[in-house]
Amino acid sequence: MAKGKELKARIRTTESTRKITRTMEMVATSKLKRALDRVQAARPYANALGDVISSLYTPELAERFPLLRQPEQERRAAVLLMTADRGLCGGFNANLIREARHLVERLRDRSVEVELHFEGRRGVGYFRYIGEPVTASRIGISERPTADDASALIDGIMRQFIDGTLDAVYVVYAQFKSPLSTPPTASRILPVTPPARTAGGTVPDYILAPSADAIVSELLPLYVRNQVYRALVETAAGEQGARRSAMKSATDNATDMLSLLRRTYNRTRQASITQEIAEIVGGAAALE
Amino acid sequence: MLKVSVISPEKTLFEGEVDAVVAPAFDGEVGILPQHAPLMTLLGYGELRLGLAGASGRFRVNGGFLQVIHDHVRVVTEAAEAL
Repeated sequence: MAKGKELKARIRTTESTRKITRTMEMVATSKLKRALDRVQAARPYANALGDVISSLYTPELAERFPLLRQPEQERRAAVLLMTADRGLCGGFNANLIREARHLVERLRDRSVEVELHFEGRRGVGYFRYIGEPVTASRIGISERPTADDASALIDGIMRQFIDGTLDAVYVVYAQFKSPLSTPPTASRILPVTPPARTAGGTVPDYILAPSADAIVSELLPLYVRNQVYRALVETAAGEQGARRSAMKSATDNATDMLSLLRRTYNRTRQASITQEIAEIVGGAAALE
Repeated sequence: MLKVSVISPEKTLFEGEVDAVVAPAFDGEVGILPQHAPLMTLLGYGELRLGLAGASGRFRVNGGFLQVIHDHVRVVTEAAEAL
């Protein structure tokens, strides 16, 4: 019965693996719920800020504010890649890394010098592995990002952009469309592309204090930080969504495998019993 | 009455009706009562008081802006903390 013993051991390990993946699925489900709440809660601020900037923005402003400066040629760009700190979430991190690599290649083809910034252990791990120089990296915020984390990530980069050492800044993150659809997305956050003016945009005759210029210049950095913050929250929610589906399919696979293993085990057991009976009956018949 | 919402990047901290708002604008406090003219102003650092003498809520805010349109007041700030 050597085969039976082996099968029994495999059944046991599959069972315990399934227990783990099922637990991880449940954990991810509850974390996803909280992450979703954060995505929702971030919306009013982003909308309010976007409304105001789009209503006060005029193309003439572009020449005066460093954050709106459109360089005639991109020479140096920064790419900020957001990934999860942990794996076991399907192709989530791999997709983000691929998107970032494509972006970097595209930029280098246009002979842009690229510096890489990272948020999340997975991304930085990969790019270190392939031997890319890492300009800055932060880990440990991917699960519960705060607005302060966002400013810590972007403020230095924003300063460099204002100084003129950088001509463009890109963020690669997981856009959160639904828990099942979190496509990796590359978007340029600097120079700022002002949000489109919302329809029916009759701007009321505001008393503006200080001037429109001063308000815009004060609010632009907030807008940039908020874009980074939203990218962080969406990536965090995407990670949990991806992990939940990865763990769900792992659990389903384990269940399928278990039923197959159990069936094989029972079949071999039955076969060996039948054989033993046949041997005994045969032995008894020979004695008569 | 004024419809007020206090919004930070992370969440909406307050949403409701109050009879007055006192906010720390960039150059000193500004008081808003019903029927205020449309206003848009930058905020500084300080205490935001909702209702008379802060009866409906008090927040510490830092930066951002305050917008008044037709008795709707939006306080949008980078850092807000209930007091």
